[in-house]
Amino acid sequence: MFYRWTRDIHLYGGLFISPFLLLFAVSVFFLNHVKLVPGTETTREMFEGISIPESISQVQGAAAVTAARDILRQIDLDGEVGSARFARQNNRFLIQVLKPGLEASVDVEVGAGKVTVSKRRMGLTERLAYLHKMPGPHNVDIRGNWLPTMVWRLFADVTVYLVLFLTFSGLYLWWVLRTERRIGLVMLSLGLVTFIGCVHALLH
Amino acid sequence: MPSFTRTLEQWNRKAHFYLGLYFLFFLWLFSLTGLMLNHGTWPISLAANGRVESRSERSIAPPAGGTPLEQAQDVMRQLNLVGEIDFPRQQTGWLLFSTSRPADSNQVRVNLEQHLVTVQHFDNGHLARFRILHTFSGSRYTQPESERDWSVTTIWVFAMDALAVGLIVMVLGSYYMWWRLKQDHRLGLLVLGAGALTCGWFVAGLF
Repeated sequence: MFYRWTRDIHLYGGLFISPFLLLFAVSVFFLNHVKLVPGTETTREMFEGISIPESISQVQGAAAVTAARDILRQIDLDGEVGSARFARQNNRFLIQVLKPGLEASVDVEVGAGKVTVSKRRMGLTERLAYLHKMPGPHNVDIRGNWLPTMVWRLFADVTVYLVLFLTFSGLYLWWVLRTERRIGLVMLSLGLVTFIGCVHALLH
Repeated sequence: MPSFTRTLEQWNRKAHFYLGLYFLFFLWLFSLTGLMLNHGTWPISLAANGRVESRSERSIAPPAGGTPLEQAQDVMRQLNLVGEIDFPRQQTGWLLFSTSRPADSNQVRVNLEQHLVTVQHFDNGHLARFRILHTFSGSRYTQPESERDWSVTTIWVFAMDALAVGLIVMVLGSYYMWWRLKQDHRLGLLVLGAGALTCGWFVAGLF
């Protein structure tokens, strides 16, 4: 009974996260081997008469994201605010907007109320890589400021927790099959030796 | 059941077990470091940000080589440094580069006229080293000029690629196992469809 339940949860849990696992696996090749040529396939749009929040030269962190959202709403652009900062030397507010399929740089001329938006579309594999890296370790004080990023973080976490469950339940399901124990132990040992060898070489 | 189908079924099942067991420790590593990367405000992630910084200066022999990369490699030989090499924007009369590996990193400034070198050294703690393993590929897709130049990184990237291939084989094989194991596929189709729709919704950017 316990075996059947474990096997079925392993099976259906695995089926649910299998598209996510494929996404994380396929994007590894992009992250490890592909190079993007900067500046390619970028489009530009200009907007005028944009209302700029008064305190924009002082805002930082979450307040900068709020100010950025106020401007983005006026130019009908939505997504994760990757960064938002005021450049004092030229009186501009610079916003980076990210979402699957799009990377946009928003350059706000604060005094003139003018906004220039440079957009770059992502191909399928770059979208996968983007999702692989999101939300990621950078700008943690503002990261996850867009609802889909927060939801994606949840699914990425669920994938990890289910992978951990699948490894432990998989170990149990293998151990129960007595005929597979010997060769399984050989594979487990080979994997451990490879793992220790790689990590040791990297850390020493 | 035809013998070909039976053989395929047996080997598919064995491959699922054996690949899972072989990659078990890699899966644990990438799972745990993935959680740390996803949650930068967790205490364990904040603890991983700490590093010890030191600075040193010494004279060296003139760097040999015709290119910045060859010169940097010669300086690294003289200073006993290893790791991936990166070049920031160069200044006249100077050779500037950084080296990095999971254990530590260095920012190196070589005065080419006086043959003096200044090294800013950053020593990573154990948690930082552990976390960096997830992302350490020696290559950034947004920086076309970045190249892998440390052989250990190449081996590690090969291990990452192998894990990715192993995962893809295991996932595709599991579809076949599920189809053969269950007479009634409705629940499986429902669960797989829910996962595919959710994941596809994000990939397509339908929001």
